[in-house]
Amino acid sequence: MYHYDELDQTLIEQRVTQFRSQTRRFLDGRLSEDDFRVLRLQNGLYIQRHSPMLRVAIPYGMLASYQLRKLAEIARRWDKGYGHFTTRQNIQFNWPKLEDVPDILAELATVQMHAIQTSGNCIRNTTTDHLAGVAADEVINPLIWCEIIRQWSVLHPEFAFLPRKFKIAVSGAATDRAAVGVHDIGLQAMEQDGEVGFRVWVGGGLGRTPLVGHSIKPFVRWQDLLTYLQAVLRIYNLHGRRDNKYKARIKILVKDLTPEVFAQEVEALWQRIKDGPDTITQTQLQRIAHLFTWPEYEALEDEPAGSPAASNREFARWLRSNVHRHKQPGYAAVSVSLKATGPAPGDITAEQMECVAELADRYSFGDLRVSHEQNLVLADVRQRDLFALWQALDEAGLATPNIGLLTNIVSCPGGDYCSLANAASIPVARAIQQQFDDLDYLHDIGPLDLNISGCMNACSHHHIGHIGILGVDKNGQEWYQVTLGGRQNGAYQGPEGRVGAGGALLGRVIGPAFARAQIPEVVQKLVTTYLQLRDSENEHFIDVVERLGIEPFKQAVYAKHADSVHQKAKEMAHA
Amino acid sequence: MPESAANKLILNGQLEANPWRLYQPDPASGCALPPDAPGWMIELSLWKELLHAQPERKCPVGIVMPSDGDCNDLILEAEALRARKDVAFIAIHFLQYGDGRGYSLAWMLRQEYGWSGELRAVGDVLIDTVHYLARCGFTGFVMKQGHDPELALESLRAFSGHYQPGYANPVV
Repeated sequence: MYHYDELDQTLIEQRVTQFRSQTRRFLDGRLSEDDFRVLRLQNGLYIQRHSPMLRVAIPYGMLASYQLRKLAEIARRWDKGYGHFTTRQNIQFNWPKLEDVPDILAELATVQMHAIQTSGNCIRNTTTDHLAGVAADEVINPLIWCEIIRQWSVLHPEFAFLPRKFKIAVSGAATDRAAVGVHDIGLQAMEQDGEVGFRVWVGGGLGRTPLVGHSIKPFVRWQDLLTYLQAVLRIYNLHGRRDNKYKARIKILVKDLTPEVFAQEVEALWQRIKDGPDTITQTQLQRIAHLFTWPEYEALEDEPAGSPAASNREFARWLRSNVHRHKQPGYAAVSVSLKATGPAPGDITAEQMECVAELADRYSFGDLRVSHEQNLVLADVRQRDLFALWQALDEAGLATPNIGLLTNIVSCPGGDYCSLANAASIPVARAIQQQFDDLDYLHDIGPLDLNISGCMNACSHHHIGHIGILGVDKNGQEWYQVTLGGRQNGAYQGPEGRVGAGGALLGRVIGPAFARAQIPEVVQKLVTTYLQLRDSENEHFIDVVERLGIEPFKQAVYAKHADSVHQKAKEMAHA
Repeated sequence: MPESAANKLILNGQLEANPWRLYQPDPASGCALPPDAPGWMIELSLWKELLHAQPERKCPVGIVMPSDGDCNDLILEAEALRARKDVAFIAIHFLQYGDGRGYSLAWMLRQEYGWSGELRAVGDVLIDTVHYLARCGFTGFVMKQGHDPELALESLRAFSGHYQPGYANPVV
């Protein structure tokens, strides 16, 4: 966990003062609606369907227990007693009043938190692997690099007003859990000839024009990370389109120029600024590294498999899906599922926040993380404490054994809250969760990513779900388009063949859209088809889609049951 | 009547009167360039013409670049431009304060082209943007209507420390 130094603390306090004065000028009529809009967005404040929405930054998803307690306090005092974790590892409050926001920010600043650049056309919160620093397959710990990027990007004077929002993700493991292939910039930390550096992916992104990123530089030495980012951002800032917001992301510029030409332009500019004042020095690196505290692990042995699990099926199931391997013997990382059937995916109540904070203190060195799949992670739990932790989580409704499985649905707030959405997403998620409420069956289906976005802005990354569901509007009615075969990682084929890290794949639309009520049945048919076609339990859903294509699934959904599905669609359309 | 913000200039952290106004060419009268009198700013597109047509000009002009302007259109090297008696400053005009190109252009004028003279922000310049602008190398600001230059001067001091070593601290 990174702890602020004086500069960090002063800066966020001064930002609160600045925003307080901007809000006052707006409320007094001395700052126009138009002028205030961009300023408030740069501080995470949207005007939503029901009231303003405040998005609070959780840098690269790392959170301390005392910060989570503060979030609970804010949820109670200024919201309706809950918060919503997002796919950018942030938290959103949906009910604060505009005039209260400066006070909320002041409270956040007391625990080293802020809302800087959580929206607007600027560099957003950098995200990373939720198992950063503890994953068994990690090559480089990305956390220090994320902090370096955080500092560099916060209130960057040159890049405060980009053509459009800009998202950076960092991964340091063999398996990419940060989806670097669908970010404006994806950084894959690696080691080459004993030196740490980064493969740089540019121009990935979902939204209306989903595109996967291109690897434009196979290796940038760590010292050069910021000057290289500066070169990419400057080319984008100068040449990205500003005439059409739907064509303003860097992915469009990269596509229009071609990745090769874009890479050449960046290279030419970088050669001129390389070794400049933003070059990272060893001293700087050490200064930041020293501000991190790391868990002081006990010397333990891995616990023998078996004991409590043998006698308790529910615990065994939870162990299988929600507990992850740890680099340190005797320890494990635990996902706290925010995907129980009922509440909106990613939602958490103030009581649950306090409960998790307490459990983090008791079992995981007081730290936790937010995953981009909208769950929480207690990353450093002694294996011998797992049973007790499970019991406590279960009591709080936070032990749904579904991480990596179908009901671990990634969903945006959708039409119930968001003014951009075309369709609801939360009720659809709930209906699917209800359809698959048999836990043995759920575990038998195995790993499956299902993502639901309420509109083509794709906040829930439906394109990279193994099954993706997109809400669309047809003549004022909600319809849902289904895509198949997307993946957030593992698709990149280098000269050395497929490597686990990096490379996303976009799902393909299987056919005409469905009415809301049909979606659980459609998902059921896709799953049944998979179960019939898999060669063994080890062949996962996405593997079968890759081996056989979408055709057999399409047939199962449309052709064979044409009567039932189409008939229903017709009835709904004429209802 | 409140005093117009355009009558004030923030220069090197001081508030002063702003005598500068943009010259609007009047094709009807055949007058493409400003007279040799003080206080004229000209668009970058007129600079080449002025350079040739008024070689003996006494009163300096301010050259106003658009946010997507090109340093090459200044024709001369930065040092040669700085040495001239007929150039007072370079300004970048913001049509919208959110047009970030002006920030990169300022950085390039300072760091790549090498302009060490005054760099002024004009147009849609807000109390809330002067701090960023100053860090990109602007030293002069003419505020947009409704944005009090006194408050803008204060906002240059909004942040006492920064993360990006390659960018200037505001002159206050």
